[in-house]
Amino acid sequence: MQAGWTLEEGHDHRIRCPVRYGADLGAAGVSAASLTLAPAPRSEAAEAVRLEVREFLAAELAAGSFEPHVDTWLSGVDPAFSRKLGERGWLGMTWPKEYGGHERSAMERYAVTEELLAAGAPVAAHWIADRQSGPNLLRYGTEAQRREILPRIATGECFFVIGMSEPNSGSDLASIRTRATWDANGDWVVNGAKVWTSNAHHSHYGIVLVRTSPADPANRHAGLSQLLVDLSLPGISINPIRILDGGHHFNEVVFNDVVVPGDMLLGEEGSGWHQVTAELAFERSGPERFLSTYPVVAEFGRRAAETQDPAQLATLGRISARLLALRQLSLRIAAALDRGELPNIPAALVKDVGTTFEADVIDEIRRVVNVPASLDSPDPLGRALAEAQLHSPGYTLRGGTNEILRGIVARGLGLR
Amino acid sequence: MATDQDLVVETVRDILAAHEPFVLTPERPWDQRLWTALTEAGLTGVGIPEEAGGSGGELADAVAIARTLAAGAAAVPVAEQLLVVGPALLATDLAVPSVESPVSVAVAPAVTASADGDGRFLLTGRATDVAWAGTAASVVLLVESGEGSVLALVDTAGLPVAAAANLAGEPRGTLTLDATPATGARLTGGQAEEFRARFALARAVQIAAALEQVLAWTVQYAGERQQFGRPLAKFQAIQMELAEMAGEVTAVAALTDAAVQALDRGEDVVLAAAAAKVRAGAAVEIVARLAHQVHGAIGFTQEYRLHHLTRRCWSWRDEAGTELEWSRVLGAGLLAGGGDTLWASLTRVV
Repeated sequence: MQAGWTLEEGHDHRIRCPVRYGADLGAAGVSAASLTLAPAPRSEAAEAVRLEVREFLAAELAAGSFEPHVDTWLSGVDPAFSRKLGERGWLGMTWPKEYGGHERSAMERYAVTEELLAAGAPVAAHWIADRQSGPNLLRYGTEAQRREILPRIATGECFFVIGMSEPNSGSDLASIRTRATWDANGDWVVNGAKVWTSNAHHSHYGIVLVRTSPADPANRHAGLSQLLVDLSLPGISINPIRILDGGHHFNEVVFNDVVVPGDMLLGEEGSGWHQVTAELAFERSGPERFLSTYPVVAEFGRRAAETQDPAQLATLGRISARLLALRQLSLRIAAALDRGELPNIPAALVKDVGTTFEADVIDEIRRVVNVPASLDSPDPLGRALAEAQLHSPGYTLRGGTNEILRGIVARGLGLR
Repeated sequence: MATDQDLVVETVRDILAAHEPFVLTPERPWDQRLWTALTEAGLTGVGIPEEAGGSGGELADAVAIARTLAAGAAAVPVAEQLLVVGPALLATDLAVPSVESPVSVAVAPAVTASADGDGRFLLTGRATDVAWAGTAASVVLLVESGEGSVLALVDTAGLPVAAAANLAGEPRGTLTLDATPATGARLTGGQAEEFRARFALARAVQIAAALEQVLAWTVQYAGERQQFGRPLAKFQAIQMELAEMAGEVTAVAALTDAAVQALDRGEDVVLAAAAAKVRAGAAVEIVARLAHQVHGAIGFTQEYRLHHLTRRCWSWRDEAGTELEWSRVLGAGLLAGGGDTLWASLTRVV
């Protein structure tokens, strides 16, 4: 099945054409098949591992090993917790065993990640490595790179940062200026700066998009490459960029004549754009794109169960209907990834709809509870609302703004 | 992606293509010629076993037919027949009326049933919002008795009908029953809820199909309509709107499909149907608004095709239980095990 969508071929339709059946009216079946990915298969294995994770989380909560928070895949850094997940085989789940993986399905991995997010568990340390750096290495890495790094990601001991955006290159990623040039020893020398690098200060490696040939105005996507960069190398400085509530998740990573060994090129020189694009289906389609604020919904559910207030129940119903639709979309993409597809356009769509949802949740709930949002609130719902609100600007920006995502969807609709 | 349903969809499309557009008016409240063509092809009995007088086939076939007809704005009570009435009668061992006669459905809590011998009831009261009242030869009503709900099958011949219509002109009349004889079966509370859920899911399926068609039309129109020397589709503002529509349409389709599959597996689909109905209704708000916005004034006219589907969607989202009702059912149902079990409940819905 193709990753992109096609709508049915246009008909010779005049603007003032009255209704005609058939050619004009009866065409939904065709676009139905092409607009959506195939439904995800039912997975008993996924439901089994889901219950294992739930049991584990209940025990961890009872033991006080973590407190639930909002947006923990960005802000919940806890390397010890990540190692526990690694010990249980819940990192690198879909990778081959020879690289430390567990050869389980994307549906099983989906269930594990979803349970962790819903519980507000601290998963940020390993999140990027497990979600996209590992699959990227599997796809494009050398044998040595895979053997060296993948087993350590799977045990929860090696964390990654994404090095894409730059101070002057946000949505326009192809305009990046960090460059890598060969030196006399066959190594890369990197100069430039990356920003919005979540948790670089806790990470061991970055996959850094660099310009390896001069910019070509005729082909903006040419001349880019990905380097696997050990963040402890001399010449790298990691400077905090605090988000609006003072939290330190983002960084500026500056490269000043950093010598990266020649064998740390990831994939092919000049194929960086293509490789970055391939990451996006992983980056954009997961449950973290609609569950960042789920801990608020969980608190709200407890409140509505107590009050049985009809307005609160209706709001919970509306929120839940949106969430359930997003789950189905995300599951379909997980199934497509299992089939070896890279459904980038549906992934862009899920992220657009999902991140809009996770921000909307705050206001939907605010309208039916009499609880001011405050980090110092004695009410757990007030604290969750506050955390969600303070992180809300990020939901629809990170991983590609919703405007960029809608542009991708528009391309999938044949408009560009 | 070829499916087993492709053939049945093609058959329905061919029949639709051979028909003139049908504009509903009080004088012409349904498309009888289309109905006849569908019955001749055996399409009004799909999903009902041959021994019960149907054409056989699977739920998926019945859904495919209902979807294709919904996208075609077909003025016939087929979704009611194939997705609600047939399965409900079969489940309660009531005889299915001839699949060549239109039959309809309503939830009628203001009608009371009193037992009148073996499998027979007398119905009294007013059944409002009866889909296709006045054209359906018989109607299946969910009514109340002193001892719980009754599913009743009533012959509508000679019954007084107060005509009314939904926003699209589809008949939604009131039947007045006065000790009217009916066959019927008592339902448990769970069975009654399941019946309401099936009806809601049928409307969600119709909305999903109609919204997909509205998106396809709007994309097509934006590609053809030229302003400022280029097609509307080349303007970023329009692209953002069409992408937003696509997001809504795709989300509704995914959830509705999942609910239909759960139904096909024989699962309890009350919460799945509630979710599908609520999600579909929420999408109508956005998709219909943006479709009309992109189409401009031509889409606001009677001669242009868009209103045939947007008006239906505006009504279907309120029918078979409003969004508010189903939102409460869903919210309360998810919390049935207490506030701490919300997440576990969510992962079991579909």
